[in-house]
Amino acid sequence: MKTKFPILLLGATAFGLFVAGVIRADDQQLDAETKARIDKYEQGPATIDVSKYPQGIQDNYEVFSQKCSQCHKLSRPINSDYAAPDEWSRYVKRMMHKPGSGIDSTSGKKIYEFLVYDSSVRKKAMLDDKLARMSADDKATAEAKVKEVHDKYDNK
Amino acid sequence: MSDELICCSKHDSEPTASRKPVPVWLFVLTLVLLFLGAVYFDHYSGWFDKQVYAPYASAEELAFYQPKSGAASVAAHGRAVYETVCGLCHSNDGLGKPNQAPPLAGSEWVSKDVTSLARVPLAGLNGPIQVAGHEWNLAMAPMGAGLSDADLAAVLSYIRTSWGNNSGAVTADEMKAARAAISGNAPSAEALAKMTPVERGRAVFQKYGCYQCHGQDGKGGVSNANAKTAEQVPSLIYVADGYTKAELIAFVSRGERNIPRLNPAGPEPPHFMPKWGPIISTNELSDLADFLFSLKPKGENLGF
Repeated sequence: MKTKFPILLLGATAFGLFVAGVIRADDQQLDAETKARIDKYEQGPATIDVSKYPQGIQDNYEVFSQKCSQCHKLSRPINSDYAAPDEWSRYVKRMMHKPGSGIDSTSGKKIYEFLVYDSSVRKKAMLDDKLARMSADDKATAEAKVKEVHDKYDNK
Repeated sequence: MSDELICCSKHDSEPTASRKPVPVWLFVLTLVLLFLGAVYFDHYSGWFDKQVYAPYASAEELAFYQPKSGAASVAAHGRAVYETVCGLCHSNDGLGKPNQAPPLAGSEWVSKDVTSLARVPLAGLNGPIQVAGHEWNLAMAPMGAGLSDADLAAVLSYIRTSWGNNSGAVTADEMKAARAAISGNAPSAEALAKMTPVERGRAVFQKYGCYQCHGQDGKGGVSNANAKTAEQVPSLIYVADGYTKAELIAFVSRGERNIPRLNPAGPEPPHFMPKWGPIISTNELSDLADFLFSLKPKGENLGF
């Protein structure tokens, strides 16, 4: 039995390589790309340590966790490459306008504020990079929106 | 000889079989050869046909894409159009899909007069309808509205002469006449040129039958059983909130084949967003996005 091991190993490796070499991605490239991107996000952490965030943001995190997990994994937004206020605004509104989302405008705003605050702390490097690529006007608007959220919740 | 054997068997130990480990270089060489073999297959296989290589997988597939002449050319073109535009719902074998699209094989609709048949891809069709003795209560968008007369003639000819159907081919001239008879209310090219992008976008919304699922005013509400979106096709009046123009055009072009289910164990929702990219032109998509953005109710502000 023992003597067959290298042969089995070789056979399995040969089969694996053969299959990997022959199988090709199908033509649904965009769908596959989107799926791969989402899969990558969803493999990351599904929770955030919000213990150092202001109480109001911690409360908003609860709303975010409860509402968003009804349709998709929380790891998807948590690890996504969205960081700028406008990106979160569009994403949250897109979700909340889906029929049956159960997200009203009050909850939607809380989720938005949490995501903007969290991005300015946990994804600061990504946010700074995005701000650096914006035009001067867009950058000023985005920074004002981040500041608005911080002013509302910090030291309260 | 016999003396020697007697001599040695008395003094030496009994010979035993032993085994050497497989050398590492043999593994490495095998892996390299297998890798090169796989790369060769990937590029040149065609299952051992040197005329066939990526992206084609077989000699048959390559032959299918070769230019043909006469009736064979029309049939091959019709099949290609069918598999791009119709096959996703009606299935490439023409047998349809339960709760999604009726069969075309053996359908009495296929053998109708040419104008009546052309009306389905050009203007869409809402149920309930009877097909081969069964009732189908679904909505089909005018998936053929963006096809040329030649493409439409090729695909309808393919449908009318495949899977046991035997109703004869149709011509591009017949399609031109059918289109004129059906779209009497559609704006002329001159009228379109004078319109604003939003007005043209409204015409695109009509032309491609978006209203059949999303409602005449884009407010949605058309039933989509077991869809997670409250079993409805979504409203479009808030797309301005959720998308940039580029994102919206990309979404419409890409479509959404897999609609999340309300009950994961339940049936697939009958309606999904078709992949409009190959059907609606780039300019029309731009106008459509402008029209959809204009649907947002005035004065509404969510405060973020």
